[in-house]
Amino acid sequence: MSDITELMKTPTGWLSDEGEESEIVLSSRVRLARNLDDNTFTHIASSEMLESIRSEVSAAVMDNRLIDDPLMMEMDGMSGADRLLLAERRLISHEMVMNFKNRALITGMDESLGVMVNEEDHLRMQSMESGLNLRKAFKRVSGFDDELDKRLDFAFSDRLGYLTACTTNVGTGLRVSAMLHLPGLVHNQDIRQVIDGLRQVRLTVRGSYGEGSEVSGNIFQISNSITLGLSEEDTVANMESHIRKVLEFEKKARESLLREARTLLEDKVWRSYGLLKTARLVTSKEAMSLVSAIRLGVGLKIINDVKLSILNEILIMIQPMHLQHHYEREMKAEERDRARADYIRSRLEGR
Amino acid sequence: MLCQFCQEREATIHFTNVIGTRVEKIHICQDCADEKGFDYLKKSNFEKGDLLAGLMNLAAGVEKPGKVRKRCSGCDRTYADFRKTGKLGCSQCYEVFRTELDQVLTSIHGDTRHKGKVPERFGQRIDLSRKIHELQRELQNTIELEQYERAAEIRDEINSMKDSGTGTEQG
Repeated sequence: MSDITELMKTPTGWLSDEGEESEIVLSSRVRLARNLDDNTFTHIASSEMLESIRSEVSAAVMDNRLIDDPLMMEMDGMSGADRLLLAERRLISHEMVMNFKNRALITGMDESLGVMVNEEDHLRMQSMESGLNLRKAFKRVSGFDDELDKRLDFAFSDRLGYLTACTTNVGTGLRVSAMLHLPGLVHNQDIRQVIDGLRQVRLTVRGSYGEGSEVSGNIFQISNSITLGLSEEDTVANMESHIRKVLEFEKKARESLLREARTLLEDKVWRSYGLLKTARLVTSKEAMSLVSAIRLGVGLKIINDVKLSILNEILIMIQPMHLQHHYEREMKAEERDRARADYIRSRLEGR
Repeated sequence: MLCQFCQEREATIHFTNVIGTRVEKIHICQDCADEKGFDYLKKSNFEKGDLLAGLMNLAAGVEKPGKVRKRCSGCDRTYADFRKTGKLGCSQCYEVFRTELDQVLTSIHGDTRHKGKVPERFGQRIDLSRKIHELQRELQNTIELEQYERAAEIRDEINSMKDSGTGTEQG
């Protein structure tokens, strides 16, 4: 059995609904960028150098105590479809789907901790948690960094900290992000103001699932952009306090929606539920928007028989490569719309 | 004739670049041509549009004669390479292009000094170097507040830390 099939069999840990504030926060993610001293950065390194970096890093990672039973996946030996599958699962970047020579992913089976080797930086370690749990994710990835630090010489300067290929990551090499579902703020149109506010405190806000600017399913990703002059602990604490502020706004927006337009809201939620339980063809965009309405309904206790973890899982599984893998065949877009509808129906019926 | 890009090697490729009414003569060595992605010059079938776009980029990148280009000894790249790709070549680039990068870092991060985690092998030295840095800031404050007695104490403290050897600030 291939490593990918093995990985797909176990549910992704961060999709559970057990994390704090999981009605609004889908997941928390923390990554650290590191490079090996005395090597050029990935984008100009020779194949030989990349190969030697890959073996040095994997030897160090495979030896660590923090990832149980690590899976080592060399990107060169993989099909493009499998790489896309890993990207949909957020284990590798889209950049790595395209540039895969001498690259690798090493991850634990529960996908909560892993490292991309030879991405933009030699190491991109990442930790994922469900709900709002930036501290735990940071602690885990930082402990992993400590372990690897004993085996590898990271490029570092007293003045600038960890040295990275891009100046936007130099210093801590830390990127902290959380994925938030904000239908309330989108509906009352305060989202614009919230985003502007976050940008003023130098946080980046993006619509999730894809690099494009169109926000799908009212899901937003918030991340820090400053990595120099601010300690890791302060970066995490800052992010958390700003996110809590956003949560407060979203909760107020939801309450007033319920107060002022209860019947309209209930109608939208139940229609969306009904549609997904009966439709035979569903595009990805439509699915995202309908799942968003159901998710809001679950959060406001309008619907009580759907678990958030199922909705989270649907968001991952309705992506093209996941559908193909699930149904074990290649599909054209139209066939996928059918498969997507089938899959969602079966999950909502609890199968 | 020397290549007008590296100012080191002999120019072996010469051509005239016409953009609108402007005419420019370009003299370039094979290495620089390769580095700038001019390999399509070797191809027999090239798109006219590609060539023009390439020439325009090339013309935009021409530096004033007489200006010596700094090159990183670790990866052989220049600051212009960074400007083009947004990526540095190796960790040494951060020192080589320090002056140029300080401005970039300030605009991105609002700061030019790391305040976070340190690899184990740097640990002790950095603790000391950070303490010295903090004391220097305190010294500045006390001088501004005209507390000269306290300033003298801080100065002595800094000097004794520096004398302890390991506290020499690097970079």
